Amino acid sequence: MEQTKKPQINLKTKKVLIVDDFFNFRLTLKNMMRSLGIMYIDDAANGEEAVRKIAARRYDIILCDYNLGPGKSGQQVLEEGKFRGHINYSSIFVMITAENTQEMVMGAMEYQPDAYLVKPFAKEVLEKRIRNIAAKKLNIKNIETAIADNDFDHALRVCDELMAQNPRNLSEIMKLKGEVLLKKADYKGAAEFYDKILQRGNVGWAQLGRGRADLMMGNYESAREIFENIIAQNDKIMPAYDYLARTLIKMNDPQEAQNVLMKATEISPRALLRHKYLGKLAYRNEDFSTAENSFKAAVEQGKNSCFKSPEDYTGLARTLVQRAAPQEGLKVLGKVFKEFPDRNDTRLHVSIAESFAYHAMNKTAEARRALTKAQKSAAELADNIPRELALSLAQAYMMAGGIDEGTAIIKNIVSSHHDDEEMLADVRTVFKEMDMAEQGEELISTTRDEIISLNNEGVALARGGKLSEAIIYFEKAAAHLPENKIINANAAHVLMLDMKEKGATEDGLARAKGYLDRVHKIDESYIDYAMLITMYRELSSGVQ
Amino acid sequence: MMKQTISFTDILAMTLHDTKNSLGILFNNLEDIIAGCRAENCARHSDFYTLQYEIQRLNHSLIRLLSLYKAEKSQLAVNIDYHAASDLLEEAGASHEVLLASRNITLLTQCEEDLFWAFDRSLIEGVVDNVINNAFRYAKTAVKISATQENEYFVLKIEDDGAGYPPGMLINVEKQPGIKQEIDFQTGSTGLGLYFSMMVADMHTNRDKKGFISIVNGGSLGGGVFSIYLP
Repeated sequence: MEQTKKPQINLKTKKVLIVDDFFNFRLTLKNMMRSLGIMYIDDAANGEEAVRKIAARRYDIILCDYNLGPGKSGQQVLEEGKFRGHINYSSIFVMITAENTQEMVMGAMEYQPDAYLVKPFAKEVLEKRIRNIAAKKLNIKNIETAIADNDFDHALRVCDELMAQNPRNLSEIMKLKGEVLLKKADYKGAAEFYDKILQRGNVGWAQLGRGRADLMMGNYESAREIFENIIAQNDKIMPAYDYLARTLIKMNDPQEAQNVLMKATEISPRALLRHKYLGKLAYRNEDFSTAENSFKAAVEQGKNSCFKSPEDYTGLARTLVQRAAPQEGLKVLGKVFKEFPDRNDTRLHVSIAESFAYHAMNKTAEARRALTKAQKSAAELADNIPRELALSLAQAYMMAGGIDEGTAIIKNIVSSHHDDEEMLADVRTVFKEMDMAEQGEELISTTRDEIISLNNEGVALARGGKLSEAIIYFEKAAAHLPENKIINANAAHVLMLDMKEKGATEDGLARAKGYLDRVHKIDESYIDYAMLITMYRELSSGVQ
Repeated sequence: MMKQTISFTDILAMTLHDTKNSLGILFNNLEDIIAGCRAENCARHSDFYTLQYEIQRLNHSLIRLLSLYKAEKSQLAVNIDYHAASDLLEEAGASHEVLLASRNITLLTQCEEDLFWAFDRSLIEGVVDNVINNAFRYAKTAVKISATQENEYFVLKIEDDGAGYPPGMLINVEKQPGIKQEIDFQTGSTGLGLYFSMMVADMHTNRDKKGFISIVNGGSLGGGVFSIYLP
């Protein structure tokens, strides 16, 4: 065979961790590694031990069995390692499985191993795999660091250079290029890129990327068709379900979105984040039996996962209250402190949910006491309360008779998220539960109108050529509504329009970038972001 | 309460999984023993290779059977991605070289370094493993795996210098797409292997084209030639 200049990789100095619950197999793997001249070999007999060791030491190579018996699975070891930053792109993670990989579902791309290896395998195969992966990692390194630095244009240049050389890992580089285009919000470019790949074969990840581009561009019908197609061809590509559900939510069909996610949890029951989301969605759809199952699954699976959160417990507790079992709900809440002793928002989560349970039990004094505790915790956290928690707090106020306090908090939430349909749906649920559906609708529509006219006034200033006034106007509005993406986007826009006329300044650019960053953080698929960031890049390149 | 709906085929599949796990342990233990024997220069260490060959054959049969079982239950999904042909061949080489060498058979691989194609790697590996395992029995001195692009197809060819396939086993000698041939299951496991290969070829589609296989005699080594064509 034609030999090309392949980088020679020295394995002898690598640090290796072997994870398998069978002593015999650990021994076999150790022998294999030793015969490759590797000196530094650790092993772990279960997922928990593996996670501890990975946190304590940087391993170059991790060979991990998928099925580790009770406790964390191999997949959870990988997820936790990546989530906590202990496993990064230069580490090699090989997932060892007892059966063909087709048996396994395809999860989120960022939590996939470098390779799957089916037992049994000869040591020659293992060595070849490791060497191949190590060689591939070398050329990807530059792309990964550029992505980590948010320098997407540079990442794309490196991708193109590499692709021109047809390296062995062409597929991986193409995958990365697609991701960078999506990250950069160049959805049209991404769509064209994926289309070109799809002309040559039905590659699953390219179809997925194509659908995501459509979702981001607001082409929901076409996105839906693509995701449904992917599932019809291979019902184990799990991200397709998640994106399909997101598309259906955008299409205002939460019931169908719920059905899709229910099918997904049937096929892949071990997916904490999906259970969590399904629980919330089903609660909103008033399907409390499904919500209960999902939150229960989330709580159960959270015991082995880095993705667990107090919301899994409070969600379950609140669902149990709806199921007329508040007593059980309190029992669930009793476990939260033990599970999350170090989080500073644990008390707030628990106290709010407790007040709901006591309220349902007609224990007014206890409910009030819980609310007072929640109030104190909220004051300690100041501005760092996630919006969903803030909404729950508002509802707790309303239940205790504090309609005005509750409504004020909700008004604040709506003004920040006046076009976030999922958030508004949650707001509607709260008012419905308070038997105030009409008042809720009223609050949403007046607040929405206020924000729209507030925004339009600024836009009118800008259109009338009064850019300086528009800047003052929008920057003031953005200070009041730091979480409203349209206000922030427009603040950036008018700043940049002004600089286009008068020339860019460092201060102006920094302020514009600040608003753009907010927009991206609030909604990474914000439709005008791509246009604005391109404008920003053009302006800043003029400065240099 | 136990669910009473479990079918015999499910029981069979579970037993297959279990058997496969045992085989895995057997395979690796044997590899350790062989390594030990080789280190001690034990004269009969090569006898173990025959054992290992049979274990591997069993293992491949089980994988094939499980795949067919899943296909029957419509659970077998294709997972198409771009792969470098050289990667596929190198790894096939690595997993069979030692065994073939124990019978003094040389394994040759041939492909362009920049040949890429979209296919399901584990399914295609299953096909290649099966064919090479057969060639192990019939080849005299050499087995050759090659990958090329012919027209709009990716062609994976496995040739040997044995006596060739019996006339009844030749399939699609004209190498035409779209031809379906009945398989003679009298040939036992070979028939099952062919059935599997055809199914895998059939599962690979691109636009309006489907994959297919061909079995002829002759080729560059003068023996059997198995080819799988993927669109």
